Amino acid sequence: MTDLIPASKCPRCGRVVAPPIPFCPDHPAAMEPVSIDGYGEVVSFTTLHSPPAGFRSPLHLALVALDGGARLFCHGAETKGIRVGSRVAVEEVGQVYYFSHLGVLDRARLFWRRAGDRGETVAAIVKSAVKRVWRRGGDQDT
Amino acid sequence: MTEVWIAGAGMTRFGKRQESLPDLVAEAARAALGAAQLEAPEAIVVAAMNPEEFIGEGNFASQVATHMGYAHVPALRVETATSSGGAAVYVGFAAVAAGLHRSVLVVGGEKMTHLPTPRVSELIGRSIDPHERSYGATMPALAGLITRALIARTGVTLKEISQVAVKNHANGARNPYAHFQEPVSLDAVLESRVVADPLRLYHCCPISDGAAALVLTADPGSVRIAGIGQGTDTLAVRYRGSLVSFRATQEAARAAYRRAGFGPERVEVAEVHDAFAPFELIALEDLGLVPPGKAGRATLAGETALDGRLPINPSGGLKARGHPLAATGIAQIVEVFWQLMGEAGGRQVPARVGLAHSIGGLATNNWVTLLERVR
Repeated sequence: MTDLIPASKCPRCGRVVAPPIPFCPDHPAAMEPVSIDGYGEVVSFTTLHSPPAGFRSPLHLALVALDGGARLFCHGAETKGIRVGSRVAVEEVGQVYYFSHLGVLDRARLFWRRAGDRGETVAAIVKSAVKRVWRRGGDQDT
Repeated sequence: MTEVWIAGAGMTRFGKRQESLPDLVAEAARAALGAAQLEAPEAIVVAAMNPEEFIGEGNFASQVATHMGYAHVPALRVETATSSGGAAVYVGFAAVAAGLHRSVLVVGGEKMTHLPTPRVSELIGRSIDPHERSYGATMPALAGLITRALIARTGVTLKEISQVAVKNHANGARNPYAHFQEPVSLDAVLESRVVADPLRLYHCCPISDGAAALVLTADPGSVRIAGIGQGTDTLAVRYRGSLVSFRATQEAARAAYRRAGFGPERVEVAEVHDAFAPFELIALEDLGLVPPGKAGRATLAGETALDGRLPINPSGGLKARGHPLAATGIAQIVEVFWQLMGEAGGRQVPARVGLAHSIGGLATNNWVTLLERVR
């Protein structure tokens, strides 16, 4: 359903970054290769109407905090319905990462895959649904 | 360690200038040396972020020294992106404090307005992490991300952010050296075109030409450099845990306060790096000048205005005075020096202790300098 994202982990401080790099930004320690799920939360996003040369306008740009620990810059087809804190999926297309909003089925599947036993799974799905209904008051979280 | 004093300060008017960069640098340097009544410094520190690309000149310290008639004076160039001026003051400070020289001319400048805006943005954007740049991240784009996160995480409003620009334009209208000397209304800021959603044009500083200079000396005078500190952070913004405060500012401030032996409570006026209006609010809290979460409200309430409790950017800041990159970090200290000396004309505020805060890149290499008038 989504890609695994290649990343690096610092053996000393545990920091995870993507894309992979040879050394930790805060330690002169060689990073270890890891793969993390392409799911996360939008830290922030913006739209450029006069992007730099080589980019099509409007350019939708988001910083996504992946569940696996790394933060990733992503492009997106649109920012409609996206808010700071929105759950998104991240996928690589032609060596560029794109974010897209997670639908309710995607979330359920994701929780199902993650959760250890049935009780946890059910609880997670209910929690997700409740959060969704609760958020409906403020804006469109689709 | 030798105490370091400011003997003189000078700057050109910022804005669209026809003169060459060496001419602008010489104009600022002569003004500072004249004010210090010094014929020749023992050493020269030059700040220029990118003269190679902006004006096609290299070996710039030697060029500037020769151009001013100081070919015999040891000169070097310093660079930390948009905070290069702050870095040059640090190097000059260190040379005097270590007893290497009794007087140092610190001068910085940039010339950019002759180039098309997209070209200038691209050159400034090279101080951004290459991977993030490959996604189209420019300085305004990163500032847009920070602004949205700030609004979502801290509850700061776009109106509070916009008031920073209104205040700084009002101050700039009283500063004959400022790029913009016209006030702007809150509506004009809120209605200006969107640059990087939610950031608008009037939240961003302009592209300016100009130069600024200081003469630092070991001879006791009226105003001393009480403290100076550097703070750093990762080049990549995605490596940071927070978008709504800058570690580089916090660490620079901590180092400067430690050296000075006093904290933010003694600061009575400050020049902060408002390249984008929300950065002034972030700086106020990172510097400890305003309690966490209060910067927006304090600004809207007028606490940081010229007649407020703590005047911020009396010069007009980067927003209105302008931002000729390597000149800026020095111009901030020039302004604080003039304020402490009572030489700030129509924008004078009462103060004996002042602070200058300069951001390099997207807050990867920041400087905080504390000045104190002692006699």
